[in-house]
Amino acid sequence: MFQSRQPEPSHRPLVPVAIATVAAAAGIGWLLQRAWKPKGDRNHRAAQALGAGAAILCVSVALDSAIEHYRGEFKDKAMFVGPTMALLGLGAATYVAFRPERASDTLPKIALFAVGATGLAGLGFHSYNILKRPGELDALNLFYGAPMGAPAALTLAGLYGVIAGEMLSGRSYVKSRLSKHTAGLIAFSLMGTIAEAGLLHFRGSFQNPAMYLPVPIPPLAAISIGAAALSPRATAAAEPLLKATALLGIAGPMFHAYGIHRNMGGWKNWSQMILQGPPLPAPPAFLGIAAAGLGILPMLKEEQK
Amino acid sequence: MSGFKTPYPDYHVLEKWDSPSWNDQTREAVRQRLDEVPPRRFLSEEQWSLLEAIVARLVPQPERAEPVPIVPWIDDTLHKNETPGYRYADMPPMREAWCRGLDAIAAETRNRHGKSFEQLSPEQQDALLSDVQHNRVDRQIWGDLPPGGFFLHHLLKQTVGIYYSHPDAWSEIGYGGPASPRGYARLGPDERDPWEAREVDVA
Repeated sequence: MFQSRQPEPSHRPLVPVAIATVAAAAGIGWLLQRAWKPKGDRNHRAAQALGAGAAILCVSVALDSAIEHYRGEFKDKAMFVGPTMALLGLGAATYVAFRPERASDTLPKIALFAVGATGLAGLGFHSYNILKRPGELDALNLFYGAPMGAPAALTLAGLYGVIAGEMLSGRSYVKSRLSKHTAGLIAFSLMGTIAEAGLLHFRGSFQNPAMYLPVPIPPLAAISIGAAALSPRATAAAEPLLKATALLGIAGPMFHAYGIHRNMGGWKNWSQMILQGPPLPAPPAFLGIAAAGLGILPMLKEEQK
Repeated sequence: MSGFKTPYPDYHVLEKWDSPSWNDQTREAVRQRLDEVPPRRFLSEEQWSLLEAIVARLVPQPERAEPVPIVPWIDDTLHKNETPGYRYADMPPMREAWCRGLDAIAAETRNRHGKSFEQLSPEQQDALLSDVQHNRVDRQIWGDLPPGGFFLHHLLKQTVGIYYSHPDAWSEIGYGGPASPRGYARLGPDERDPWEAREVDVA
């Protein structure tokens, strides 16, 4: 009698949902890859990819910070700065993605630097927000205080844009070092995003097994692209791993949409769950970073020749 | 006691009825509470009328055209013998405590004033209830039933509990009713979700 009154067991639909989500994400990824038609030489294509990656990061940050700062009721007027600058970054990075040869012009460069600097300032604000809470740097405040990853992503977006401009500057270090340093930066970016996703999925006690997906795959991608900076042979491993990471970036919002559905009231209760459920716009950060990484792989490969 | 003014004069929790805040289960529970006020089944007519008079002093509702029904729900609890699952060690079981307590208040009143509780002035009623609360009563009438315990644990707690189970009382204190399915996203001090009550300055 009590058996029939139990709610739907949460594990039952997980396998089909996970398979359908990953399949749909793979389809979208394939279409994106088909649509991606970069022109020019390797440097040019890398610059375009860095611009596109920065633009995706900015979309993620703009939506995420707009939602989260709305939740915080914009109590501090400075909370308008993050989403606004992310939009500015989106504009600048999109411009760079289409016209990388213009990325070093004054206007986009100033915009990209400003966006990057805003991210650093945001990192300061968010650290202060965490440290001023009772308990200071404890797990509870890292879980529920202002997130560190979001403003850092803004800084990365600015950096990617600036690097895109440098790629085409013709300076001597572009050929010798820039792609390797960029690979290191991308590995570092991935590790930061993994820390954020890992922390929050741990907070959610991995209640859906799919929450483990961003735990092993992106770190392997980070290691492989880090290795590719040192030895071009590692690019062979980096490519599928970065593609898998990009796939997670596309599948993430779908999984999170399912997470909202599984919450109390589901999508009918969107006004609470957009804020309290899993964040819809956060996972595409993986896609942005992976896109930038995939863009510079050909440059890394070239090094060995 | 009197002079209370709600800081939420424009807030009506029932406006949540068709909003995402409530689902069918919540609506059904609230509907039952509003529409299915139970009839008298356990208390005698005298006990019922005495209890009405007492409740009117514990939770006066002079400003309400339709006061929140309280006695019917106490009677319902007694009829179903829905105890809280425990019993105070110095008191008899719930039903017996209520019958003996109410009868003792009636006898105490007749003994002192020669008339029924309902016929007393509000001041006299308050004075008598205060004496019951503080055990200043005729022990011969009450026997081993502790008057203060009956007043606090049965009379007062049940009355206030039932009063604040009613949507009109929720509106008055700006309470959102069942958070089912929609709860609250902004949980910190001085934070408020858009679907929460907003007080106005009543001063």
